[in-house]
Amino acid sequence: MNHIKLLFFATIRDRAGVKSIEMDIPAEMTIHELKEKLVGEYPALKESLHSVLMTINREYAFDEAVVPNNAEIALFPPVSGG
Amino acid sequence: MQPANLPTIFSVTEDEIDLNDLLAKITLTSTGAAAIFTGMVRGETSRGDAHVTDYLEYEAYIPMAEEKMKQVADEIRAKWPIVEGIAVVQRIGRLYPKTPTTLIACTAAHRDTGVFDAARYGIDRLKEIVPIWKKEIGPDGSEWVEGDYIPKPGE
Repeated sequence: MNHIKLLFFATIRDRAGVKSIEMDIPAEMTIHELKEKLVGEYPALKESLHSVLMTINREYAFDEAVVPNNAEIALFPPVSGG
Repeated sequence: MQPANLPTIFSVTEDEIDLNDLLAKITLTSTGAAAIFTGMVRGETSRGDAHVTDYLEYEAYIPMAEEKMKQVADEIRAKWPIVEGIAVVQRIGRLYPKTPTTLIACTAAHRDTGVFDAARYGIDRLKEIVPIWKKEIGPDGSEWVEGDYIPKPGE
């Protein structure tokens, strides 16, 4: 198992209802698989998933990326700073 | 041929943006021009969906935002090696109309060096890849503003 920390921002945090959580996931889990697991636990996230951005250790990550142990994962909508 | 110590400032802050202080920090003895972009909270929008804004509430994934601001500065230096100093700043928290929210400034020896384009590139990239979000609060309620840029691998 790998231990990870998840951070949620903006609309994703509002829908999930939490700012951050920690969880154990199987080793070799991909970003895509993690997304599916999160929707299972937070069904309200489902409608955000088509546009959600994810990062691993503060770099943008894509579906095939494997989540390493002790990763800091973030989920958020397309950015709107400025 | 760049000196290694060219000033680069990037920060996410809850404090007021101090233009004079930032400008002094990115001005070298060889500097003769600065292009500065600053964005502020617009209280009345007429373009597109006309509406009134009471205030904006900004939040950021601060450690990543500052890393991505550094990346934006690195990209500016790769495209415009003539640029001397760079400042990339985003203010967060609750910000009211007329308040500056962001500042991108680039300095160079002369104004015809691409320094205007460099600052323009900086604000455009900030709006694409730096993890900051704003919620707009108006008379009819509140709504998160969502961007439309999907970063590509390596961004």
